[in-house]
Amino acid sequence: MSMNFDISYLGQDVLQQTYDAVVVGSGATGGWAAKQLAEAGLKVVLLEAGRAVSRAEFTEHMPAYKLKYRDHSPEIARTRPVQKQCYACMEYNYEWFVNDLENPYSTPPDKPFTWQRLRILGGRSLVWGRQSYRMSDNDFKAASRDGYGDDWPISYADLAPYYDIVEKYVGITGAAEGNEMLPDGQFLPPMKMSCGEILLRDRVKAKFGRTVTIGRAAVLTQVHNGRAACHYCGPCERGCSTFSYFSSPFTTVKDAVKSGNCTVITNAVVSHVDMDGTNKARGVTYVDRLTRQVKEVRGKAVILCAQALESTRILLNSSTREYPNGLANSSGALGRYLMDHVVGGGATGHLSDFKIAPNANEPRRPNGIYVPRFRNTPSSKKERFLRGYGYQGGAGAEFNFIAEGYGALLKKSVKEGVYGASLGAFGESLARWDNYIEIDSDLKDAWGIPALRISMTHGDNEAALMEDAGATAAEMLEAAGAKDIRVRTRVEMPGMAIHELGTARMGNDPKKSVLNAFNQTHDVKNVFVMDGASFVSSACQNPTLTMMAVTVRACASLIDRFRRSEI
Amino acid sequence: MKRRELIRRGVFAGAVAALRPGLGMAQGASQAAGTARSSELTPAQSGVDASKDLAGAGWKPLFLDEHQNETLIVLSDLMIPATDTPGAKAALVNRTIDLVLAAETSEVQRAFLNSLGFLDGESMRRFKAAFRYLSREDQDDLLHGMAYPRVGSKWTGEAETKPDIGHEHFEALKKSIMTAYYSSQMGAQELGWDGAFTHGTFAGCEHPEGSHK
Repeated sequence: MSMNFDISYLGQDVLQQTYDAVVVGSGATGGWAAKQLAEAGLKVVLLEAGRAVSRAEFTEHMPAYKLKYRDHSPEIARTRPVQKQCYACMEYNYEWFVNDLENPYSTPPDKPFTWQRLRILGGRSLVWGRQSYRMSDNDFKAASRDGYGDDWPISYADLAPYYDIVEKYVGITGAAEGNEMLPDGQFLPPMKMSCGEILLRDRVKAKFGRTVTIGRAAVLTQVHNGRAACHYCGPCERGCSTFSYFSSPFTTVKDAVKSGNCTVITNAVVSHVDMDGTNKARGVTYVDRLTRQVKEVRGKAVILCAQALESTRILLNSSTREYPNGLANSSGALGRYLMDHVVGGGATGHLSDFKIAPNANEPRRPNGIYVPRFRNTPSSKKERFLRGYGYQGGAGAEFNFIAEGYGALLKKSVKEGVYGASLGAFGESLARWDNYIEIDSDLKDAWGIPALRISMTHGDNEAALMEDAGATAAEMLEAAGAKDIRVRTRVEMPGMAIHELGTARMGNDPKKSVLNAFNQTHDVKNVFVMDGASFVSSACQNPTLTMMAVTVRACASLIDRFRRSEI
Repeated sequence: MKRRELIRRGVFAGAVAALRPGLGMAQGASQAAGTARSSELTPAQSGVDASKDLAGAGWKPLFLDEHQNETLIVLSDLMIPATDTPGAKAALVNRTIDLVLAAETSEVQRAFLNSLGFLDGESMRRFKAAFRYLSREDQDDLLHGMAYPRVGSKWTGEAETKPDIGHEHFEALKKSIMTAYYSSQMGAQELGWDGAFTHGTFAGCEHPEGSHK
């Protein structure tokens, strides 16, 4: 399987026709939009700001000693000072990440925000963490339960069939738990847990009644939809030669192209939506990334899947006389309610009773353990903070690269290793009007497109979540018999979770939201935002699975509208 | 923003387009077809294997001077000596550190030289000779004094007031050496890696259910 598209448009001008749908962005959600619409028979053009990607550039089987700088390349520090804050941006693959010099954004001096992103076919689906969790009505209807914020205009029952579709196609490994906060899904066989993880699971269940489960991940544990099972080499973020983790170029986008109804244009940096003068969009304008030529592509529907902040940036850059503050922004909510899961709280320790030495030749599981939210649940007491957090973590024998001393003893200590255990929290980021993005009128990217100014802080509630998460992780590790426990309660800067959500929220009230329950803008009937921008609240689960399900649901509605000739 | 404005703002960059006559639709299509320009691949993604780059007989340091380099060789081999497996000297740890330092910021460069200089300073103060000329016994003596953190008074409970500079420099040097060694091919072999990327399916705990109490 390789990424050689059939260039069906070669020799004809792709820009001379009017497509049914223009999809902006080819990542997790854009790939799904292209696939669903093209397979339904609609003519789709998929625009990607970056280049194409091929299997030939995967580096997951390259040892570090082949890297010139052993992962300390000065090129990363020079061109990607922001991107390098992401663990997945390495000397192996940094060209997949945006060049920060070409893609600037600003923040107020006291509100740092790290914005980690890729511009390449597939976007962040190439390097994502793959953790895939459903949200429940405890999340969709959280405002009704605790009075904070707004409910989603959709319920779990509305989304459940689309979670099914996505999971069956993507392939999610996991174990059913019947947990009230974390609905079960369509799982491939679960990955195995280590001895330490099983000990932690059993002790935590016995002492606190909390669930510890194997991570649910978009990694195949058996052959699935023509893709091979995971071979446990470890570093998914460098690519996968067997396509065993889900990334859009080798799945959804490939299927979209295979349908014969989808044209892919790479290097198309979309600047804005074009309007036709009758409150309808006529298409989008993009700048060719390489030639800097400005081009227009026409479509009956415009679907933004560019990543939460990028989709909203496009709308903010599409102001007209009717919409002076951003297209489809009669509510004033466009750009508002930016969220990113709060991270930083957790604990580590050693399970010294396990006399198991680390092994360089052990299969490397690209997945950890998960503790679903147990605070402020229907069956738990009310806390001094709102909402809650889930933990990701793991336990296993590790080489001890911080062993003390030096000499032959040091060498020996490194190999004897330690049996480590860790839990790190992802907490809900409350939707707040004051966390927002706007256009920075003094800043443009390398293509002349006005850039964003991002203003976001985590608040007192997020700090309280991390404080609780640190102490509670220690308590759980202690229950498992851990020694040398270290607690973290800091609140990392927003953006670090790389779970940006909101800025074009859904809602039933057009005065308070940008999108309706089907991701259609209230104001402009043929403009849609089908990505994380649409989230009303962040919950604490990794959001990509929900983003994909929301996209598939919105596409089903759009296909119906086309059939009824409403678009 | 309108197309007009984009053009006015110079985004159109007709000159750039004129300089690249080949980048029309056909080449746009070849981009879509999955070919990346080599400048948009990392060396690793282009398949470059740099593992033998530093092994040449004519190697010269890019950043360190001769004395610093020789000191680093001696120090690194004390930190990670040859045992039944090769040590830091054989793994060319000094050369890796020199290469990385040459590309680092002046701040990082200064910090490293500062730590190496501290070692010589202590050596001169205590043994009247630079570290690399000391006997093995004296080198060990010096390193042992820096290798472990100092704590306060055993009798009064008073905390140590002087910053533990020696230990901090030791840890900084040790970290550079460990990173370079364990990321080398010899380091990977020392950890027991057999060179294969797949070793079957993660088996997890194979003990009977309930055996971890």
